[in-house]
Amino acid sequence: MAEEYPEEEFKIAKKEMDRLVYESLKGREVKPNVMFAKMSDLSRALGISKGMVKWSRVNSLWPMQFGLACCAIELMGFGSARIDAERKGYLLFRSTPRQSDVMLVAGWVTKSMVPEVKRLYEQMTEPRYVIAFGECATCGGPWFESYNIIRGIDQVLPVDVYVAGCPPKPENLFEAMIKLQEKISGKIED
Amino acid sequence: MAITRINIGPVHPSTHGVLQLVVDLDGDTIERVDPHIGYLHRGVEKLTETRMYMQNPPYMEKLDYLAPMSYDEAYVSAVEKALGIEVKERAMYIRVILLELQRIASHLFFIGTIGNDLGQMFTLFMWAYMDRDKVLDLLQEATGSRMFYVNMRLGGMLSDLPPDFEERTLETLDYVEKRIKEYESFIEKNPVFHERMKNIGILPPEKALDLGVTGPVLRASGVQYDVRKNSPYYVYDKLHFEIKILTKGDNFARYKLRLLEMRESIRLIKEAFKRMPAGDALGQPVKLRSPPTKNKIVCVSREAPKGELMMYLVADDQKPYRLSIRSPNFINLMAITHMAKGLRTADLFATLGTLDLVMGCVDR
Amino acid sequence: MKIKREELAQKIGEMKASGYSYLVKITAVDYVDHLTALYFLRDIDKNREETLEIDLAPTDLWLPTIIKAHTSADWYEREMSEMFDIKIKGRKAPRLLLERWDGTEGPLRKGFAWGEDYKSM
Repeated sequence: MAEEYPEEEFKIAKKEMDRLVYESLKGREVKPNVMFAKMSDLSRALGISKGMVKWSRVNSLWPMQFGLACCAIELMGFGSARIDAERKGYLLFRSTPRQSDVMLVAGWVTKSMVPEVKRLYEQMTEPRYVIAFGECATCGGPWFESYNIIRGIDQVLPVDVYVAGCPPKPENLFEAMIKLQEKISGKIED
Repeated sequence: MAITRINIGPVHPSTHGVLQLVVDLDGDTIERVDPHIGYLHRGVEKLTETRMYMQNPPYMEKLDYLAPMSYDEAYVSAVEKALGIEVKERAMYIRVILLELQRIASHLFFIGTIGNDLGQMFTLFMWAYMDRDKVLDLLQEATGSRMFYVNMRLGGMLSDLPPDFEERTLETLDYVEKRIKEYESFIEKNPVFHERMKNIGILPPEKALDLGVTGPVLRASGVQYDVRKNSPYYVYDKLHFEIKILTKGDNFARYKLRLLEMRESIRLIKEAFKRMPAGDALGQPVKLRSPPTKNKIVCVSREAPKGELMMYLVADDQKPYRLSIRSPNFINLMAITHMAKGLRTADLFATLGTLDLVMGCVDR
Repeated sequence: MKIKREELAQKIGEMKASGYSYLVKITAVDYVDHLTALYFLRDIDKNREETLEIDLAPTDLWLPTIIKAHTSADWYEREMSEMFDIKIKGRKAPRLLLERWDGTEGPLRKGFAWGEDYKSM
């Protein structure tokens, strides 16, 4: 699955800090760092059918929680007792990118956090997906005119599913999870 | 004595938020802690200068996202004071009830995360979040939203309480009171909690006031200071409640004080329901009838669940000229630099957890 | 009450001796032809409060530090100096607290150019 970075957004901005941040992040290519990224390779190597690989990949997506601000509280509500995320495969909210599949970005991202977000995304193993949770990660939210934030996380990362709301109820995130699973199983046709 | 400098980065698996600590270690003992903040700074004080008066409450609520109405109410009180508007009496009682419900919700979240910080992942958090969901359901009935309610208008509220709100509130409060007993026995009959929380992170009273901490952290050290009793606002001078003071000043005292405060809040809500008069509670519509005088200065102090909150407003025609927010979490975080010498690494996060920080309010 | 910059340290010492032991906030307001620095103090036992106001000209922005009297002035002064470009004399220049940027003017001044760059990002 090829991923495109929105490269025309890395423009040179007015302040020196913006220039430094964006210059350091421009021009890095994504090389697949897992040997069997394509499903056909994986199924051939393991000796199982493609349907089995698809079933296992879709139904056990482990999230990496990146809860920064208010939406993190609703994210914890998504994982807690009333709306249980574990029944659909989203086990073990962990903070390490090496063992997770989905990155749930919840909260506004400031210019100081952009190198960290990018570095963590590049450390995730393929195949990997991103859900932008809440309005601040989608478009900047109510802080649109602030001098210190990024207007939407899709200026830095490729996003698969957007969830609107301020903050979205945990049921909304449940629906977004189901949409992501449908998107993955529809796209896997290797 | 060789010093190692490690970095506990902004992304870490505890539930505090985005905080970077640069720690100087000598073996396992801490010499110095230096917090680097600012990863959530978005310039709220500058943004409020571009919006009209009653367009600002959504900005105020997103500062402390565990008890949003306390900041919203302080701002609306400041605007009412600048315009000379009086709050209706039934609306005052409704505001007190909703604010005390926020305090219960915020302290329940604290009980949930204290288990996480001590290494006991997520059991206590699941219980506490389940109870917090029930309190948020009550608030959703009263205002329409779970987390960010913009329901204060000048002189009153947006809408009155629903008809049988009182019965459902009293049912939920009885349930919460039973659960508080269970949390008490869960924590106090467990020797591990005693070993890890008693006599660690002691803050003596003279040092506490000098450092500027307020709220439950100060009252657990022995200083008697609560804005609800020193300069009472709304109907707090008519309701009977006590300020709890504990004298030890360690982690266990800070946890225990919040538990006792939850019980006081339940008493306050029950008494407020009995004394509430019937009548009208609606406030004015959003558009101002008459603008305030230019350069009028207003100062309002409130007791948020985390500490003392002060809003300083310089008024202009349509928009605030300058709004300055005294956030309690900002100066509570500074206290860790003076409390951390001699602690072990594992105790650092336990102490940080009992200070009960919200990073959105630290960075503003 | 309005005082001059030279009397600040002495006045703070006097007030601390007479019971004002709690420093609530240090902040500033930018009226365009002058700046006003504000120090809020409170006495807990007798329940009184006091505000000290100092007027500064925009070409001559500096203030002495009061960190010896109140330890909580540490972070308050750092935040005020970063947001308003006021230098604090008497302590080593600390690193930036809230922002990591290298502009020329503090963000909370009225002449700060902002709002246009959101179209380019």
